[in-house]
Amino acid sequence: MAIDVRHNQSDAFKDMMANTSQQDAPPRFSITRILLSNEFGLLVLIVLFATIFATISPAFLSKFSLYALGRTAAVNIMIGFSMMVVIITGGLNLSVGAIGVSAAMFSGLLMESFGMPWPLAVAGGLAVGAALGAINGIIIVRTGLHSFIITLATMSIFFGIMIFLTHAESYRGISPVFTGFGRMKLFSIISPLLLVTIVVALGLSVLFRFTALGREFLATGANERAAELSGIRVQRMITYCHMLSGVLAGVAGLMLVSRTGAAIPSMAGQLGQDWLLPAFLGPVLGGTLLTGGRVSVLGTLLGSFLVTMLTTGLLLMQVGAFWVQTYLGLLLLFAVLVDLVRRSYLQRRKLI
Amino acid sequence: MSDTISKTVFHADNITKTFPGVVALDEARITLLEGSIHALLGENGAGKSTLIKVITGVHQPDSGIMTLNGQVFEPHSTRDAIAKGVGVVHQERNLIPRFSIAENIFLEKLSAHPMRPINYRQLFRDARKWLDLLGIDADPSLPVSRLSVAKTQLVEIAKALSLNSKILLLDEPTASLTSHETDTLFAILRRLKSDGVSLMFVSHKLEEVQEICDQVTVLRDGRNACESRPLAGLDRQAVVRLMIGRNEQIPDWSARDRSGEETVLELKNVATSLGHKGIDLSLHKGEIAGLYGLVGAGRSELAKAILGKYAITDGSVLLHGKKVEIKSVADAVGKYRIGYVSEDRKSEGLILLHSVLENVGVPVWRRLANLFAPLTNRAIREHTEPYIRKLEVRTPSLDQNMGNLSGGNQQKVSVAKWLAAEVQILIIDEPSVGIDIKTKAYLHELIRELSDQGTAILLITSDMPEMIALADRIIVMNDYQVRGEISNTRVYDTMSQGIMNLIQGEDMSAEEAAPAAS
Repeated sequence: MAIDVRHNQSDAFKDMMANTSQQDAPPRFSITRILLSNEFGLLVLIVLFATIFATISPAFLSKFSLYALGRTAAVNIMIGFSMMVVIITGGLNLSVGAIGVSAAMFSGLLMESFGMPWPLAVAGGLAVGAALGAINGIIIVRTGLHSFIITLATMSIFFGIMIFLTHAESYRGISPVFTGFGRMKLFSIISPLLLVTIVVALGLSVLFRFTALGREFLATGANERAAELSGIRVQRMITYCHMLSGVLAGVAGLMLVSRTGAAIPSMAGQLGQDWLLPAFLGPVLGGTLLTGGRVSVLGTLLGSFLVTMLTTGLLLMQVGAFWVQTYLGLLLLFAVLVDLVRRSYLQRRKLI
Repeated sequence: MSDTISKTVFHADNITKTFPGVVALDEARITLLEGSIHALLGENGAGKSTLIKVITGVHQPDSGIMTLNGQVFEPHSTRDAIAKGVGVVHQERNLIPRFSIAENIFLEKLSAHPMRPINYRQLFRDARKWLDLLGIDADPSLPVSRLSVAKTQLVEIAKALSLNSKILLLDEPTASLTSHETDTLFAILRRLKSDGVSLMFVSHKLEEVQEICDQVTVLRDGRNACESRPLAGLDRQAVVRLMIGRNEQIPDWSARDRSGEETVLELKNVATSLGHKGIDLSLHKGEIAGLYGLVGAGRSELAKAILGKYAITDGSVLLHGKKVEIKSVADAVGKYRIGYVSEDRKSEGLILLHSVLENVGVPVWRRLANLFAPLTNRAIREHTEPYIRKLEVRTPSLDQNMGNLSGGNQQKVSVAKWLAAEVQILIIDEPSVGIDIKTKAYLHELIRELSDQGTAILLITSDMPEMIALADRIIVMNDYQVRGEISNTRVYDTMSQGIMNLIQGEDMSAEEAAPAAS
């Protein structure tokens, strides 16, 4: 079928052209829109809290403190990304921690017991991450059950098998080059791990903005039935998202190995649960829609960074660790409420 | 107001409502009389929905006065409006599917006392009364999910009546009913009318309005084109003129016969996992083949089986004479160039959360994507924008969210999407559900034009006039089987008779029907 649209220059058509081209550009770049964006809000909060912490405790701005902040943030942001890529499908992945630790332990095994060079071991670890993610995805797609229940189950299964196979023992024979990477300081304040995270963030941005695959992920998450009838292989897309989540969890796990110099079964807590709060905080603060279909890579990055900074800052101010957890919980609640107000304002003005 | 014989029940005077940048209602007026059915008409965006929302308490008017039974009526919420006697049956179902009919009818009353134990026997008995009144033959303890669409609609009416509604607003109540079900509904509405209920009827189907309504109020651009005028003496053309400000242009297309063209799609003795049996069907290049049947005849399901969403268990599918197995919708779209415009654009046709550009581009992303160059919005825009323009989609920009567009414009986008994908076969399922006359006429012209340019079109519609206006050949389905086919002579009476005969399974072959028509 070839409708010859280019030669259909009726008067009404010309009017339309004039109208559309005039109205096309402005809404996307309006100042109100930027000021009301999630990312801008997060930036304001980051600057605000950084100022508060720096005023109360000057040590906050010390070179080491900034370095440590960046290094921890790098891991937390990666964990946030790992959850984010599943949230966009409208699902979630409770097994991020379990997968991350399993991937890291497998790399440790390859390096210590098989003496593999670190790049191969890293590839092996990420492959495990992808495989475990694929298992999640395939079960979810085949059964049609919600990812919540499936990943709750696989979280226990993956973690249990990992503990059984490793006898709950750490691998300390990690390649010095690999651990050196996690301890390296660039310009005496930047951790290379942070660079890894930024590269991954750029990669994800490109994926969602400039590839058919990324767009298909989002379409699937926003409306699975419509996506399928438009010719998207939705089941495959959901499985891919879970695989990607597994790989990103693996990257986060390997970052921790590189930082601590050992692959430790308990590095994400029992069943990997310690990762859950950072995993959800980043994407939710960053404006990734929990019902799927909308993503903000920059938002997740800033959200996770904010959370890491608050944790570090509060600990520096010698607030007890349990209080920090309470504050983080409050922050999550607060962020969701602010987002609600912001969204309804935008909706009323028809800006989104 | 010319008719003052009956008592005025509801009156809205000079209602104005503005939203940022839009005057939705500009001094709109309407008067509802006791024991009458009042049609509220207007094109999409004329202000009908806003007026309904003002009457039902969703929006508060900027100015103007409403009275109900002579008293000032200022509902501050939907609940308040219901309590004061305004019943609504919405276009979208507002019942809880898992709950029983009785629970649904009395939901408001039950939820007023959340802790009080429910006396089910009493509840079912009370519900029975309303069901009997409306002539609904169903057990009140049955969950609503087990009812047909038509009965669900009647339960909604029962619910509205049980709340002691003085006026009852019906927003497109027949949109998803078959003609037989519509007749049943109308019989009930007439009875309610003779009982003194004041009804307001919103519909795009003018035939129905002519059939059942007493007065009519037409809105155009938020203002009254006419106010509470008796419908008697107004013919269809006069009503249309009030609605769109000019005469309706009824296309005077000649009958076509495209059966000599290449057969693009052919089904031979096809059975599906959903229960279709022995389906034989062919579709030629440049042809519009209509698939007519009552709701539930298995037409949309057959379309989706052709697309590869449901499995074909027997028989064969031929595309351009070659046997194919379409395993997924992705194959149908990407490999075989078949497109499907869904009847349910909100939940399976479009992605309301995403922008117009994202929606119109979905089927072409993979084609435009290149391993070495990014898939930019600009590339998608360049490819799709001509089609958006061609269809005159009204949107401030392509970045606008799909959900913010009116129904008619949404439908245009769901068609534009497949034009941009350059499909060879297009299955269009109920093209004019919930869209206004102007857009409908426009879409009809477009569909005709597409077929003239060689696209094979399979048209599914329950709207008989639409079918007879568009199709070259009409295939009649019932109960998941093909009952026969008739070539379209475009003579309404004989065609509709022939179609109904086929549905009812009377032994009337296509050869007999066609000459009888000419």
